[in-house]
Amino acid sequence: MRVVGQIWTMTAKDLILTARSRHSFLTTLFFGLLILVIFNFAFQPGVEATRLSLPGILWVALLFPGIIQLNNSFQREQEQGTLQAILLSPVDRGALFLSKCLSNWIFLICIDMFILLAFTLLFNLRVTPRFFMIVPIILVASAGFTAVGTLFAAMVVSLRAREVVFPVLLFSIIIPIILAAVSATQELLLREQLEYLGNWIQILVAFDVIFLSAGFLVFEYVVVE
Amino acid sequence: MPERLPSVLELFRITHNYGSVTALNGIDLALHRGEFCALLGSNGAGKTTLLKILANLVRPTEGTINWQDKFPERHQIGYVSHRSMLYEELTGLENLLFFAGLYGLDLPIQRADQLCDQFGLSDSKVYKVAGYSRGMRQRLTLARALLHEPKVLLLDEPFTGLDQHGYRALTTILKNLKSQQRTVMMATHNLQKGFELGSRMLILDSGRLVYDVERETISMGELEAAYFGNIRQEVAG
Amino acid sequence: MPTYLAMLAAIYAAFLYAPTEMVMGDVQRIFYFHVSAAIVSFAVFIGVFLGGIGYLVTRNRFWDSLAASSVDVGLFLTAIVLTTGPIWSKPAWNVWLKWDDPRVLTELILLVICVAYVILRAAFPEGHKKYAVCAVFGIIGALDVPIIYMSVHWWNTFHPVVITMSEVKLDPMMQQAGLVALGAFLLLASVLLLQRISIRMHNMITKDLLKHLREQE
Repeated sequence: MRVVGQIWTMTAKDLILTARSRHSFLTTLFFGLLILVIFNFAFQPGVEATRLSLPGILWVALLFPGIIQLNNSFQREQEQGTLQAILLSPVDRGALFLSKCLSNWIFLICIDMFILLAFTLLFNLRVTPRFFMIVPIILVASAGFTAVGTLFAAMVVSLRAREVVFPVLLFSIIIPIILAAVSATQELLLREQLEYLGNWIQILVAFDVIFLSAGFLVFEYVVVE
Repeated sequence: MPERLPSVLELFRITHNYGSVTALNGIDLALHRGEFCALLGSNGAGKTTLLKILANLVRPTEGTINWQDKFPERHQIGYVSHRSMLYEELTGLENLLFFAGLYGLDLPIQRADQLCDQFGLSDSKVYKVAGYSRGMRQRLTLARALLHEPKVLLLDEPFTGLDQHGYRALTTILKNLKSQQRTVMMATHNLQKGFELGSRMLILDSGRLVYDVERETISMGELEAAYFGNIRQEVAG
Repeated sequence: MPTYLAMLAAIYAAFLYAPTEMVMGDVQRIFYFHVSAAIVSFAVFIGVFLGGIGYLVTRNRFWDSLAASSVDVGLFLTAIVLTTGPIWSKPAWNVWLKWDDPRVLTELILLVICVAYVILRAAFPEGHKKYAVCAVFGIIGALDVPIIYMSVHWWNTFHPVVITMSEVKLDPMMQQAGLVALGAFLLLASVLLLQRISIRMHNMITKDLLKHLREQE
């Protein structure tokens, strides 16, 4: 299908551009690691309270760095005028949205793999087979985060107050993701039986489906005057 | 007056507002095949807005556009502004290939090579656009606009910022396009160039079309008089 | 107007008609207002959603007024909920605001979304882009509301917090009072909504007239 080809072309372009300027990847990664280190200092190791906070710390470190990349995903395109060039072409606006979501998502999960590794090391976690079930949670949660973030990034690209408004919008909407992801991680790390893990993943998947669809449908209203 | 070829597109009562500012006010216009329209007017007259509406980048507040061909609109349009709209970190060739992919072209590599040759970019196409001169950027932008062989080419102040060399190169390219019977609308505030290249003169003033004349029927002097006549009205009123 | 009557009826019902609650006494009466406001605060998001879709489809600014006015009413109602809550919870649980109570959390998030909408709206200059972007945010926010509710609800179910609302068995007179209060709040919300919409529309018409006058000079 032509649309799939278009999505692939645009995603490939984004990934090539990111690979060529490694600077954005490294900055975002550094930010995530910094968050972990700060929390490491802020919380005393070995104290029970710290253990309970671990899921929360992890998710802050996994998601917050994504803001940088999301904000930039349309910034450069707008500055260079290439966004306009893409809009001139016959590409479906929803396809543009999906391609940006895809490239942002791939970027974020690459960063997150490093963050997860650093997290395990810094907080001295035991790596059991069960631990790796965090990976699907990361994949699903970051997908929803990216979907909403990509949509909002396109919405605010023309604003001078973009850097302030964007986080406000994003965080007011993605609270369910944080709730579900942290709870699911809590189950994995701290509990013996995994009773409710399925429920939390359901919520995350539902979130993803709803907002990817919604974004796909409304995107043209956001980018075209 | 020679018979006009059939119209390619028609505008009816196009009006556009940005908030409380009226950029275009009731424009009626028909573009015919093979015409090279010079769209003249001072800054803020509404030239860019009109081109953007034709390019489907902006939906007008009021009014309709009718395209004569059933083909999807965006396939028929090529648009060049003075911004290059290119990816700085990709090479010239990669830029062309990217957009060829978006337009769904068969044999994209061949087409890209062909255009690079045509516009004198064969040597530089493997280098990143970031290293291009202004003239080279302009040529690549034009190449990109022509990739999909658009019926209508829209140019917004294409001579801005070019040096003498680029100036002459662009003029040659545009003359070639003219001889290919492609429909072109070029916005410019350079009366000379407009008169030299255009087959039809249009003057836009404060969002209204105030002058619409075939090039053959007037002289440069008459054009100047008409152009400055309009501006003088503005100052007096 | 009928709203005044309805509100009077509600106040009467809450304070005089319903019998005094056993445990807490008269302070419990504020509960009727609190719950009614909470229920209607969810309902306004329907207005935001419809307004958003309506504007995107028709580009008619009435729909944008509907969405923005719904947000205004939502702000008002969530503020009421979050202020009447403490009046009830302090005597009950000796705490002003219980942050991990699922309903407090949900209402708080609704407030946050309304505030975010207002911030977004203020950041744009007048024009189609503004209304389109706000419409989209409104739609996203409204879609989020049920998800928020579900996730907070489950969060509470799986890790139950120590409290529960103990009004399981309601005296029939109390039930009636509750319904009256709910009706009154719905009416109040509708009236406020219509007022806000008409203010917005009048502003719009006035600005257009001024513009026309200026152009004719």
